[in-house]
Amino acid sequence: MGEYTVLALAAPVAVIALELLVLRTGLLRQVRYWITIAIVFAFMVPVDGWLTKPEGTVVHYDPAAKSGIRAPWNIPVEDFGFGFAMITMTLLMWLWWQRRDHHAGPPPPRRRAPRTTRTAHEGDSSEMSHA
Amino acid sequence: MERWHYALVLAACVAVTLPLELGLGARVYRRPWLVVRTLLPVIVVFVAWDLVAYARGVWWFDDGHILGPSLFGLPAEEWLFFVVVPLCVLLTYEAVGNVLRYGWNGAARRAPALRPTARAEVSHG
Repeated sequence: MGEYTVLALAAPVAVIALELLVLRTGLLRQVRYWITIAIVFAFMVPVDGWLTKPEGTVVHYDPAAKSGIRAPWNIPVEDFGFGFAMITMTLLMWLWWQRRDHHAGPPPPRRRAPRTTRTAHEGDSSEMSHA
Repeated sequence: MERWHYALVLAACVAVTLPLELGLGARVYRRPWLVVRTLLPVIVVFVAWDLVAYARGVWWFDDGHILGPSLFGLPAEEWLFFVVVPLCVLLTYEAVGNVLRYGWNGAARRAPALRPTARAEVSHG
């Protein structure tokens, strides 16, 4: 148990709290979110595995800062906490900005004008048929 | 080639997810302003974590497997990581959404010539 272990556990909790208490996008209730997590984790294994491979390591970790559990291969389990938090925060921001854009609203719809005109025409034609 | 280890894996991530934009109608690269606003807070938070961890010696980068240029101790590849990975996540999420909603063929059919306003009209309707 080192500082990376603690942060890798705290970060997902913090991001989930951000969603539940502040943003409330509904992301965590979406099936597509959990499928996305599964797919991204599946691809994270070869990528992270490559960066942490014992021969030709790209990223080295201080053994004292983490739990020492490496799975699969040589990947520190803490990386999945980091990954989960980053994936989730990215998608939260993505949904939050879209909701904000949507609520800001598009400019007043232009199609209203033609519809009024058509109603006027219909009125005209009915008057004409009465005549 | 040893020094390209990190850069190449990032390039592979971009290449592997590109078909999601082109073939499954993800429309991530086609909404650059939304991407910028989404990535900025993520980059601020997770680069801060990275910088602190690097400064405290929690992790460090192998000089033999990176290209060389760095900023505040983080190699160029590590900075790019925080752009590439969120992009891959967004592409996956959008592609999964399209496949769930329209099926494989439907998502593929939506891909090439979708007008920027089409989805907005659907959600308003």
